[in-house]
Amino acid sequence: MRKLFETGNAAITEGAVAAGCNLFAGYPITPATEIAENMSRRLPQTGGFYVQAEDETASLHICIGGALGGLKAMTATSGPGYVLFADPYGWAIGSEIPLVIVNSQRVGPISGITGAPGQGEFYLSRYPTHGGNFETIVLAPNSVQEAFSMTVEAFYLAERFRTPVTLLADQLVTDGWASLSLPENETELNEMGLKVVPRSIHPGPIFYPPTDEIDVPPVVLGQNTGGACSDWTPTEEGYDTEDIEDQMKHANRLIGKILSHRDLIDRHESIYMDDDPEIVLVSYGSPSRVIGSAVKRAREAGMSVGCIRLKSLWPFQDKLFERRAVYLAVELNVDGQLVREVARASRGEVHFLGKCGELPRVSELIEAVDCLCDGCELKSKKWETVVW
Amino acid sequence: MDSLSTRYLRAKKIPSTACGGCGLGQVHKKILMAMDELALGVGDVVWGSGIGCAGRQTFNTWKGDNFAGTHGRVYAIATGLRLALPEDKKIIITSGDGDAFGIGLSHLLHCARRNVDITVIVADNLGYQSTGGQYGYTTPLGFVSDSSPYGAIEQNWIQNGIDILDVLRAGGATFLARHSSLEGYDAVKSVKAAIKNVGFSLIHFIYPCVSHFGPVSLKTRDIDRIFHWFKGIFEAGGVFGENFKSGIFHDAGNSRPEFASSLRSQRAEVEAGHLR
Repeated sequence: MRKLFETGNAAITEGAVAAGCNLFAGYPITPATEIAENMSRRLPQTGGFYVQAEDETASLHICIGGALGGLKAMTATSGPGYVLFADPYGWAIGSEIPLVIVNSQRVGPISGITGAPGQGEFYLSRYPTHGGNFETIVLAPNSVQEAFSMTVEAFYLAERFRTPVTLLADQLVTDGWASLSLPENETELNEMGLKVVPRSIHPGPIFYPPTDEIDVPPVVLGQNTGGACSDWTPTEEGYDTEDIEDQMKHANRLIGKILSHRDLIDRHESIYMDDDPEIVLVSYGSPSRVIGSAVKRAREAGMSVGCIRLKSLWPFQDKLFERRAVYLAVELNVDGQLVREVARASRGEVHFLGKCGELPRVSELIEAVDCLCDGCELKSKKWETVVW
Repeated sequence: MDSLSTRYLRAKKIPSTACGGCGLGQVHKKILMAMDELALGVGDVVWGSGIGCAGRQTFNTWKGDNFAGTHGRVYAIATGLRLALPEDKKIIITSGDGDAFGIGLSHLLHCARRNVDITVIVADNLGYQSTGGQYGYTTPLGFVSDSSPYGAIEQNWIQNGIDILDVLRAGGATFLARHSSLEGYDAVKSVKAAIKNVGFSLIHFIYPCVSHFGPVSLKTRDIDRIFHWFKGIFEAGGVFGENFKSGIFHDAGNSRPEFASSLRSQRAEVEAGHLR
């Protein structure tokens, strides 16, 4: 095991290499540029290809083309590029093409501030394309080490579910420096609880089975299997169809394969949740790191408080919010995104603490929890707040 | 189905659902004739297609492996696929004028610049015909369409001294030709040369649309008259001007490094420790 002091961006690069990624196509964008730079150095060393695309639409389409030829592909971007994926993302979902998409979120909307963290693409990662009739898989790291491990896991899930997987990070996770343990071989990787699924090739002719099964090999072109892959609704053999029954079967498969295997996807971390605290802070990504400290101090001060940190965002883990409690969603936007899902999933009282372009301070969080303990509404002028 | 169709195409998709009298089948046939003469088998080619008449009617007609891209993006997809396939595997793309010269032009031009080894057949019916007949990037100036009821006023890509093939040549394309579906063996020869070029090749193939362009823009449903008009585009007094000719436009075949092979060569240097 190698011990390094590295950025999240470097950790993502090494995670991709460890997972067997052999194609990266991307367009430079702060704060994800460093991933592209690292990949341009690493992939030629490990038998892969680096392509600098003409725009993000091309980035993901080049990844799709490579994946269709049997390569394990990844791209990395930030919000302004992620939104340009709408077209290819939908195609990769519909045609069941495995690949990995990294989004290091920065504050927005639009170009926003390049060097400030944001969490504005929570819902965009659930609905990254038009047309409906699909589910997405989204993982969210909160540390440099997790940036590594979750990249490996993203490739693992992409292959098994035959779908694009988004790693939804943020500027602080990817730009931040921390210690990083890197496995030096597959045994060490497995010891970390991580697995690599090699690309398999569908032999045909039923490329799109009308079932919920996973571990179905993807279409790989150039093998003379008669593989067919298009942006149109496919028949089971990949022909374009206008038959509504085929459409229904396809939609059911895209949703069913993900929802029937939640055990492989769902991930969370519970902090001080064993004693069923009255107040539960909910977060993901970099704010969760501050929350850990805040919850510890609040408990020392006698407050009944715990924390749920989501490590997988989509499909949303409704079951985590079944217990009646006062929930406080903490996120890096002031319009409230995560909080809406918590409100939908929970039966308790739900509050929101949003920050715009910077992390909440421990003191702010403790003040908010204290306020909720007293049963009063969050009214501090230091942060935008709404009672949901 | 004739012998070429039986050998190369899928019975489920041929005949296609193209309109009776459409010239697309003749473009399709010329590609098959070229493949036959080059002795290419079903396993030697991966066939890609775009959106619109040309894309939808050719998708998955090939007996081997097929893909169809989102509108205008098939060139970027082919760029990625090129890296994954062995160098002797051909990628042939059939797309339309809107796909190549409109929505996908940026990706197309970047393929030319990178010299990606693909053969793009732009099957051009002079406008957006599958959506009902709107003007496009090759609709003659002044012509009426369903979205230019007073005549097309926007400069197109192939008239008044402007030529999309000039743009592609300047962008680095290594083989360019222009034909109509009504031509004979000369067009097949161009397709053969295009496929043999290990680099970016494009053939601009103009073909008659008898369902929209004929009735709306040429004001006739008479197939003979429509075909006669299309035959005349390369002749004296043709609508696109004197310099609009059929034939090979630019042949710099195998003169520039190909994209995927350049990346492979550099990778070999890195792996050998020559580049650090």
